[in-house]
Amino acid sequence: MVRLFKTKRGLLALLAFGTIWFIILYYFVGSASAIVTSPSSESMVTEIFRALGLSALLEWPVAEYAIYWLVAVYFFPSFALLVCSEQFCADKHRGTLRFITLRTTRVELLLGRYLGQLLIMGILILMTSLATTVLAVVRDVTLISASLQIGAKLAIALLIVVMPFIALMSLLNTLVSSARLALVAATLIFTLGPLFLAFINYQFGHSLYLNLLLPGEQISRILSQNSPMVSYYLLPLIQTGVLLLVSHLVLKRAAL
Amino acid sequence: MSLIIDVQQVSKRYGDKTALNKVNFSLEQGAPVALVGPNGAGKTTLFSLLCGYIQPSSGRISILGHGPGDSALFGRLSALPQDAQLDPRFSIATQLNFYARLQGMNNKLAKKDTVRVLEMVGLADSADSRPNELSHGMRKRAAIAQAFLGSPDIVMLDEATAGLDPANAKEIRALVAEHASTVNFILSSHDLSELERLCEQVLYLDQGQLQQHQTLSNDNSVQFLTLRMKQHHPELMPAILQIPGVSQVNMSQDREYLLSICKEQAQGKIAIDLLMLLQKYNWSYTQLINGKTLENQLF
Repeated sequence: MVRLFKTKRGLLALLAFGTIWFIILYYFVGSASAIVTSPSSESMVTEIFRALGLSALLEWPVAEYAIYWLVAVYFFPSFALLVCSEQFCADKHRGTLRFITLRTTRVELLLGRYLGQLLIMGILILMTSLATTVLAVVRDVTLISASLQIGAKLAIALLIVVMPFIALMSLLNTLVSSARLALVAATLIFTLGPLFLAFINYQFGHSLYLNLLLPGEQISRILSQNSPMVSYYLLPLIQTGVLLLVSHLVLKRAAL
Repeated sequence: MSLIIDVQQVSKRYGDKTALNKVNFSLEQGAPVALVGPNGAGKTTLFSLLCGYIQPSSGRISILGHGPGDSALFGRLSALPQDAQLDPRFSIATQLNFYARLQGMNNKLAKKDTVRVLEMVGLADSADSRPNELSHGMRKRAAIAQAFLGSPDIVMLDEATAGLDPANAKEIRALVAEHASTVNFILSSHDLSELERLCEQVLYLDQGQLQQHQTLSNDNSVQFLTLRMKQHHPELMPAILQIPGVSQVNMSQDREYLLSICKEQAQGKIAIDLLMLLQKYNWSYTQLINGKTLENQLF
């Protein structure tokens, strides 16, 4: 928290976040209702959402949240990779961890930094969700109850979506010596990873379900918000647990 | 006397290279201990093993009855690790306050203790400075300050005075001497005269092996006197040999003489005879040391 709000790098990241979300909220989410309900574009939007399997979103009472969800479910995982790229790798490289590990266990350090990042992401998600509620209420004050309800539900869903992404960055932090390298490694995982897994599946002639290893694998399935709730939570939670366990095992043996 | 550190058959290998080879030693509570050895001897590796930064390839280490890195040692074992730096993004007071709180202090106590340790190393005026605004020596002193947070039982200082100006190095030595009665120090340094002044026990590592483990004030060392002269005098050695009780004189290095003394002779009388001899010939000396210097004992 202190690193985000009290350091130049953190404040710059916040500024970038604020600017991007101002644009998203003002130009896309804010005008969502007009786009979805306007007679000229209604049929086109309906067709597009149907083609994408997202027609359930159009039935939400608060149109703003349909656009918010579509943007946020892809934005926050990517942003989590960026913001959470520096958890403790620089401290490890600089030797600062030598001061810290004389006063705390490595598992406490890992979980502390992870939960700190999760808290930051939670606050940012909550802020954007509340801003969407404000936009909806400005349009129609009767939507306040429905907005808060959908907003809370989506904020929790988004937080669970980003959990394995933060855990992946925790793991990469145990392996590399800088945030930049952690980001490069994450980029390679999400670009070459699916290709590699497809190649393995092709070699074995059937699916080995290895794609379940990649964080965010469930996003395309939960996008329509039609899937049962358990698929929102279970896979990312298991992925988070596995990634944190592996991070712990690596960090436990790592030379500081 | 209770055992504070027990190292049994500890080896550390990095691939094919053996950094430490079956090192055995035990340290009891008491005066500071010196860890000496040439570059690459394994001193920092031993420090890192004791602090739990790295794991031994084999062997067993016990510190105050616990394994390195055990949570029971938090606040009881502190260290100045070599080359470790504080976070450049936060002021040193913020970081020391954070470390104090990690050790279990509440915010008020942590702030008070931060002020105390910063005053101890002469950095009270720089408390709000970030590490990158300070000189190398000041950063080092800030890192030393963190080792004194709380009331540790063991403080390990790896090259604490390296890179410090003479005045600050003297301050740090005074700090160690001042706390030596309550804290068990383990000091690594290449400045043997510094270790000689502060320590009573020496661990000498060479090529990953513990070569010597001895007490500086043992019985053997009192059979020697070390004399350092201002100038070289060719007649000095034969003249010293004339003093009753002096069995041998060797020039240990330039203008430094090592006098071997017969056991049965009173060393004090020989020292007085020696000083009178120097006065008689008007030869100036710089130092007369009771026993061998650490340098002469080790090398």
